[in-house]
Formats: sequence, C-alpha cells, structure tokens
Amino acid sequence: MNLPIRPDRLDPEWYRRAVFYEILVRGFYDANGDGMGDLRGITAKLDYLEWLGVDCLWLLPFYQSPLRDGGYDISDFFSVLPEYGTLGDAVELVEEAHKRGMRIIADLVMNHTSDQHPWFQESRRDRTNPKADWYVWSDDDQVWPDARVIFVDTEKSNWAHDAQRGQYYWHRFFSHQPDLNYDNPAVADTMLDVVRFWLDIGLDGFRLDAVPYLYERDGTNGENLPETHEYLRRVRKEVDAAFPGRVLLAEANQWPEDVVDYFGDGDECQMCFHFPVMPRLFMSVRREQRHPVTEILARTPEIPPGCQWGIFLRNHDELTLEMVTDDERDYMYSEYAKDPRMKRNIGIGRRLAPLVDNDRRVAELLHALLFSLPGSPILYYGDEIGMGDNIYLRDRDSVRTPMQWSPDRNAGFSRADFAQLYLPPLMDPVYGYQAINVEAVMRDPSSLLHWMRRMLEVRKQHPVFGTGSFEVLSVENPSVLAYIRQVPNGPEAVGEPDTVLCVCNLSRLAQPAELALQRWAGKLPIELLGRVPFPRVGELPYFVTLAPYGFYWFELVDH
Amino acid sequence: MVDPSAALPDGVEPMIGPHLLRQRWYGGSDREAVPIEVVATAELSARGGHRLLWAIVADGGGRYQLVLGERRAGEHAEFLNGQDAAFVGATAEHFYYDAMVDPELSIEILGLVTGGREHADRVRPITAEQSNSSLVYDDRIILKLFRRLSGGANPDVEVTEALAAAGFAHVAAPVATWCRDDDVLAFAQRFLAGGSEGWALALTSLRDLYAAGPDDPSEAGGDFSSEASRLGRATAEMHLALASAFGVDREVLRAGAWDELVAEIESGLHRAAGAGWTGTPAHTIAALRAAADPGPAIRVHGDYHLGQVMRTDAGWFVLDFEGEPARPLHERIAPTSPFKDVAAMLRSFQYAAHFALLERGEESSGRLQRLADAWERRNRAAFLEGYLATVGITALLPEDGASRAAVSLAFELDKALYELAYERAYRPEWVDIPSAAIRRLLARSESDGLG
Repeated sequence: MNLPIRPDRLDPEWYRRAVFYEILVRGFYDANGDGMGDLRGITAKLDYLEWLGVDCLWLLPFYQSPLRDGGYDISDFFSVLPEYGTLGDAVELVEEAHKRGMRIIADLVMNHTSDQHPWFQESRRDRTNPKADWYVWSDDDQVWPDARVIFVDTEKSNWAHDAQRGQYYWHRFFSHQPDLNYDNPAVADTMLDVVRFWLDIGLDGFRLDAVPYLYERDGTNGENLPETHEYLRRVRKEVDAAFPGRVLLAEANQWPEDVVDYFGDGDECQMCFHFPVMPRLFMSVRREQRHPVTEILARTPEIPPGCQWGIFLRNHDELTLEMVTDDERDYMYSEYAKDPRMKRNIGIGRRLAPLVDNDRRVAELLHALLFSLPGSPILYYGDEIGMGDNIYLRDRDSVRTPMQWSPDRNAGFSRADFAQLYLPPLMDPVYGYQAINVEAVMRDPSSLLHWMRRMLEVRKQHPVFGTGSFEVLSVENPSVLAYIRQVPNGPEAVGEPDTVLCVCNLSRLAQPAELALQRWAGKLPIELLGRVPFPRVGELPYFVTLAPYGFYWFELVDH
Repeated sequence: MVDPSAALPDGVEPMIGPHLLRQRWYGGSDREAVPIEVVATAELSARGGHRLLWAIVADGGGRYQLVLGERRAGEHAEFLNGQDAAFVGATAEHFYYDAMVDPELSIEILGLVTGGREHADRVRPITAEQSNSSLVYDDRIILKLFRRLSGGANPDVEVTEALAAAGFAHVAAPVATWCRDDDVLAFAQRFLAGGSEGWALALTSLRDLYAAGPDDPSEAGGDFSSEASRLGRATAEMHLALASAFGVDREVLRAGAWDELVAEIESGLHRAAGAGWTGTPAHTIAALRAAADPGPAIRVHGDYHLGQVMRTDAGWFVLDFEGEPARPLHERIAPTSPFKDVAAMLRSFQYAAHFALLERGEESSGRLQRLADAWERRNRAAFLEGYLATVGITALLPEDGASRAAVSLAFELDKALYELAYERAYRPEWVDIPSAAIRRLLARSESDGLG
C-alpha cells in the first residue's frame, strides 16, 4: 500500500522549498465529538490548509500511548491511539493530503518507549526473557556519570530502579520512558521496521525526536556518539533505497556547529532544526538591532548539498534555553534572561501573538524573516490567526489549547460537551475564540491570515527563499537587516536563477538605510507583494526608507 | 609605478590649488588658493587610455597626496555625476578628476597598494574622513588613502599592525601598507562587513528608550548595557595588547606627567569658571595632587569614543589609532594612563545620551532628562565592570583605589574641559553637556566617591 504524492513527486528535494505546518492532533479538530482532536479531524480541515498554502504537515505523535508525555511515551509503534482514530484514518489522511499536493511527516521517538510498552513489560520480568536486553539494564546506578540529567526538575538520575527485575534501567528523559538498547541488533532492526511500516502507509518522512541519545558508551556523556551517527546513516540508506524522496528531520537541540553532524556528509538526516535562530529573532526585535540574528547566522556552518535547516518562531515546547552549549547559554542569559519581560517568558510556553504584545506589525515582520532567512519555515497551528495562550494551564498546555475555528460552541473545535474537552478553548476578550477564529479572520481581507496566505504564495513563486545562497549586506543603520538570497546564473546553478533582496526594519521607529547594492547596479527592484517597480540600482548607495517594523522583499530583475 | 618621474600634464598644475579648496581633508583654512608646489609626481598606470596620475603637493602649511584620473575630453564618466568636488578641471584634450571616485582606477589602486596580491571586482567609496579617503572593495577590504602627509610613522598603521601582531582579536587585520620614503601613503585592512558603529548602536538604544519611555533603562528592550560591558572587556584587552606591543612605562606619570595634567586641569578650571558649577575646584585639585601613585603609562588609543568602535558579528572592533588629529604627533604617541581612553569612552556615553535628547527637541522634559542620566549611569557601570573584570588589567592601573579614582576623575575632567572649550567656540547650544559633566565630576571628588 504505497501512496506516493502525485505532483512533483520526483522532486527529491521538495523539503528545501516547503513550508511546514505543525499540528497537535489532539488540538486541531475533533471529528467524532469526543472532546479530543483526531486524525479524521485533520482530514476534514485539509482544504483549509491547502488554501493557506502550506506544503507539509508535521503531526505530533499519534501512536498508542499512556499520554504521560504528550504521546512521546509510545506504548505501541504500530498502532494509532484509539482516541485519535485508526490506522485506516491515518491512511485516509495521507491519501487526502497527497491528493491536495501536501505531504505529511510525523514525530517518531526512537530513543525510548513508554514503560507501558509490552517490550518493556516483558524485559522487566527477569534477566533471561527474550526481550531482556531490549532496554539498558544495570546493577549499578553509578555507571556513565558524565551523562547529564535533562529534566532536572523531575529526575534526579538517569537510572531508575525496577523492583520486579531488581535492576536499574537507563532513561535519558522521564523515568517512565526507558531507553531502548540499540546495541541489541534486534532493537536496531525492529525500529527500522517501524520506519518502513509508516513509510509504506505513505508518510513522507519523520521528525526524529531526541536523536542524539540512542547509544551509551563508557567515558562519554552519551550524546552524539559515532554509533548513533552510524545508525542514522543506516536508516537513511534504507529509506532512500526503498522510499526515495522521504525526509528525515532531526531534533537535536544544540549549537548549530554540533547539529550539522546530523546531516553527516549528506548521508544522515536531510533536515535539522536550527534552534538558536528563534530566540535571537525575538531578541533582535527587542533590541532593535540586527546583531543577535546576524551573529548566529555567521556562526552557522555550511551544510552539505541537499540538506536544509528547519526554522520556526514558536512550537509546542517552551521557549527554552535547555540543551545549548555553555557559550550560547551564557550569551542568552546575559542578553535575554536579563530582560525582565523575557525572563517572564523563559520556561513559560507562550504563543507568538502574546510574546509580541499582539503587535500585528511585529508578528508580520517576524514571519517575513521566518519566510526569507535560510531554512524551511515551520508554522505552529493557530499562529496564522494570531491565537493566544493560557498561562494558567499546567506545563506546556498553555500553547496547546484547541484550534479556534469559529465563534460557535467550543470554538467550533468540537461538538462535545464543554466539560469533555481535553483543554478549554481560550475565552479571554483579546485572544478568545469569539474574537479570534478562522471563520472571522477569513472574512476579513486585511487579517493576519490573509496576509500570511499572500506571503506563502509569493514565497512559493520564488524557490530561491528555500534554496538560494544567503548574504548579509553592510548597512550603517544597526536597526536595518538587509540580505540577498540568490540562485546564481551559471552552469553550476540548481534551479531558476533568481535574486531576492530582503530589507527589514527591526525598530519601532521609521528608519532610513543606504544599501551597498553596487554589485547589482543596473538591476530593477520589484517589490514582491505589490509588484511595484522601485528606482533602478545605480553605482551610488541604494536608499530606502522603512516604516516602523517594515520590510521589503525585492526581486532584482534586468527590466 | 609605470613612470616614476612623469610630470603632471601641462595645464594641470594650476587646477590643483582651487581643487584643494573644495576638499574636506584640506587643512588650509583660507578661502583663497595659495601657491602650490608640486613635490613629486608619477604615472601609476595607463590602461585603455585612462591614466592614473599621482602627486604630492605642498601649500607651505602641509603636504597632500593626490591621485588623479585622466580621460579624453568628451568621454563618458557617469561616476562624476553629483561629485562636483571630485572634478579637477579640463584641458583641450583631457579632463582630470579625483581617481578615488572612478571604480576602474580605484581597483587599479588596490592592485598597486597590495603589490598585486589582492584583486577586487567591485569598489565603493565610504563617507569621507578628515584626513583620508576610504574605499571598500568587495565588502572585504578597506583602503585608506592618506591625504595629509606628516612624514614618519603613521600611528594608525603602526598601532594596527602592532596590535594584530600581538594577537589582539578586535582590530581589523592589516592587508598592505603603501609607503614612499618617510610617508605612509595608503593602508589596506580587512573590512568589517555588516558591522555597526558604536555611536549608531548607542543612539538606537537611546531612541528606543525615549520612544518607549519605561521608568528605568534596564526595562527597555533596546538596553545597551551588555554591549557596553563587552566593549569594556574589548577595551581592556586592547590596553593589554598595547602594553605588550609598546611596553609599560612605570615612571613617566609619577615623574612629572601627572603633575602637568593636574596643573592643566587647574588652569582649565580657572579659564572655564562661571560655566555654572558651584563648589571649590581647589578641593578637587588638592585631592588629585594627593594621589599616592598615578600608576603605569602605556601607548593608548588617544581618541577613543563610540564613533571609533564597531560592533560586528565577531564582537567589538576598535578603529582609527591616529589619536586626536588636532594634537602634534609626539603628544599623540606619548605613553599615558589607560584611563585616558576609559574616560574618553565614558564621556562619549554622556554625549550619546544627550545627543539623542537634543534630537527630540522640545520634548526633552525632566522625565527624559532623568532617563538620559539613568542610561548613562547604567552603561558607564557596565563598561567599567567589563573593563575591570578583564584578567590582567589591574596591572596597568594605579594600585590603590584612591589613586585609581583620582586618575580616572582627572582624565574625565580633562576631557570635559577640552569639550567645554570646543563647544563654547563652535557649538554654544551644546555647552551644557560638558559643563554638567564638570559639575558632576567636581561634586564627585568632594563626596570622595571618586571612580
């Protein structure tokens, strides 16, 4: 049952041009009225997503799970959580998305399972059962002291004692999530079966969760080990051989110079998240100067051909400083945590709109940056309509409230009784569903949603945003960030030659800028949103003025 | 040089006097051309009928370097549009202009200066300085052509090369130096692409502060203090590198330079009396004289302020080591306390805060005034914290806290007195900035809160 995508299915690098859209299955749309979103709900809303213009959906985990960690605690890799639907629903969703030219990738947790997984239940029984070595067991809980504890708030050690087996088991995350033992060939093989199973159904790839921790070795911190990379190369090879054109997206929340290892020589994951760009975008707008962003991009290494960064403004996690190098953490603490407004936000999940004080101009500017900086943009469901958050909800649920579809009961998300909803929809006067919902903003041609759709349309016309080179231009005004995205004209060119100039004003005040565009002397800048021609570039500095938080995208053409 | 002794073409020499008058870098203050003597000439290149000519001329007061382009009369030269000052004149067959505005000849110049080691596809001029003209090649190399020649070592080149050799990471690496006899004619360095001048960055922070108007600068989005702190650290590292490159003089301040400085401050305070401060300068002078030990002296930047530092993606960089252009060379290179630079940068913070206030004109209410002071205090503290926390820097400063405070106060006072004289002469509406500073410094010395 292989249902490859129809349009441009032979484009093996589609992910370099794609715009991703992250969906919390539980929170998107409830098709069966049980108070919880489901796969059929997503299928029902595919027309909306197609209209918006996104290319690929990323689904948060929908596998069988006790849901003690938002589904990242999987208790059966081969079945769908009944609340979310059936395998048949998953097949239908993939098929319907493909019909509309959209792709779907899904979260896959390779590092660990839920302690409710039958494999673990069997493994913990005694030391001799057939799955005895599927997890990492030890009599000594002092082994591998260099491996740091990631969830320091809840876990004291990476070892937890199991009374039944009378041994300790290894867990890099929560103690209810035992790590799989990849040194056992049966485990390594079985996880490849999992990959094949879902690709067979038609998924276009995976976001690989917590990828740096697959193996453990004495005298190391257990991160980024050569064995882990070797296994990823094996996964990639198998995927490429049997399912060409599918993508692997690595989640390694690390400094970009370390993350690049997960691209391998172009033979591991095709995509990796670029984590530090996100907080620095917010910082640049807050500081009204470009250096926080340009600095991190200057320190971002080249990546192998055919690879791509994944960049985002917000996602389902906190705006977090975890898992970054000391260097970066020092910088972020001195720059970011010191700012009282930002400090409030650290460790507190916030959505984009509240994070920028609901300033539409800032939201647009940040998206304009997201859509034009190097990397494939990943949107978080609801941010396209300017949804808010509920900081009184526990943990990270504050940004996981139901998608607001209409002003009807339960925000149009579900026909269930209000009390049955997995979380209450927002009802405050500013961000509540009475004010902010898809139906209303669709009727308003000047809404953020319509603006976003237009931006995605323009972006689609210029694949250079995904594949072009990136060069920051020298501008004296520190509040102005200007850069060139270019697919050069020449024999080595991949794709249509194209040159786009982006100019952004990071300040609340109007700003002038003189751009050193002499290299493009003679070119005519066409503003991409309105197709208005600007004065031709000459030998003198090119002068532009920008409204507060204003930006331009120009195509540089000959005539 | 293609022809090291080629004379200037007939008819060009008389054009030079009037041409000089139109140049910002020309030192002669008369509005009438004085007789010009051509000291040296050469033809640097001649390709495609476009000649590049070179000359040193003297007007009795100083010597100046010219690079001239020559094209045939009637030939198209679009680069001259809007560059009236660059046009030198025309004869029947040719016209002449400052070659620095001609991209083709400017690229030739880079090849000549670097002995053919560097080539560029593109060149653009950047804002003219008082003593030199600068070109940027491919956003990669900046070339300064020195206009007023002083003979002997050029402190900018000398210090930049020494700092780079000492491993100081915050200076634009030298690429090539172009000399003739005693004169340094041009200097090429790595260009700090994408950098922002410290002054512009400080104004960005201040404009945000005044526009947003929180009660406390630490609450403002555009807070500058972490930049100021990193700048303090870079400054200390510069001083350590200068000390290792040029040595440390532990005697000169103690042996008389310190007393001279205090005497200068004393007479400066007398001259400036009536600028609106109260209190007794005598008390301050006595406190300065009482300093136990003014500490070591080193080669310093000499003209240090926010306009001389550049924030790049690799941190702060320091530019322009020429020292104060108005002072004679021997003064500019004389060793002194590193506090001279520290004090000058601190003064620059006050200027920035008040410049941004003046921009807002009538809006500079008492509330904004308080914000300006708070911004200055905050960033002073951050700069000093970054400076003093740098490992090794205390070895270059007076040992005891009281002397340290006295030396720092003296240099700030000296700088503010210089500013006051300058503002009185040229910008009376700015007089309040240094006089407020002098008032504050005198008050500080009285409360013994030196430093």
